[in-house]
Amino acid sequence: MEPVTGDSTQRAWIEEFEAAARRSLETRFRYAFIHTYKPVLDDVPYRAFDSMAEYRDWCEAHLPSWLGYGRV
Amino acid sequence: MAAFEYRQAQEIRDALQRHGVRYLFIGKSGAILLGFPDTTQDADLFVDKSPTNGRALVTALRDLGFAITTEQAGDIERGRDFVQLKDGPFDLDLVFAPDGIERFADAWARRVDVEGFPVCHPDDIIASKVAANRVKDRESLPRLQAFRDYWKAKQATRDRD
Repeated sequence: MEPVTGDSTQRAWIEEFEAAARRSLETRFRYAFIHTYKPVLDDVPYRAFDSMAEYRDWCEAHLPSWLGYGRV
Repeated sequence: MAAFEYRQAQEIRDALQRHGVRYLFIGKSGAILLGFPDTTQDADLFVDKSPTNGRALVTALRDLGFAITTEQAGDIERGRDFVQLKDGPFDLDLVFAPDGIERFADAWARRVDVEGFPVCHPDDIIASKVAANRVKDRESLPRLQAFRDYWKAKQATRDRD
């Protein structure tokens, strides 16, 4: 398969956006929302933080890095 | 926990409207409402931080089936910056001070209505993701920015016609 880069990536994205625009909101929802278990994050029913910085720090300290919640 | 469904989004919209809650869909769930084709796991709501709005939100969430304790209600009414609910009928993140957006009123003024759903403008969704600077956001940003440009062009065409 030919690698998709640059302009061809942009064209592919536009085609995806156009296709999505033809779907109803309900259908877009069905395609968009998924549920998979996220370790640690899904293990307690409730969390609250006084600041977003505190939440980001908690994510970096406690979540597996592969979840992608760490800052760049 | 099953995936978040359109019916549940409608229930959020209707319950929060019934109780007069000022909020906006933000994050990828907001982008999806605007038409962005991607996947996500939960809904993120940017909520106007005020005791009155917080109280109305607690009432609405209880109507929706969230078992909000007195302590949790206090957190929401106080508007702690980030509240994560994971034991209700669906996962819900309440964000009272998203990264990259100065004031709720500014985002509210720029909001987009999608079939009755109040949604942050794509510029605000992108601003919050840029400011959050997470690995997973960085990966999805180029495509989201391309969608924002596509969306704006469509809006301009619609306005012109």
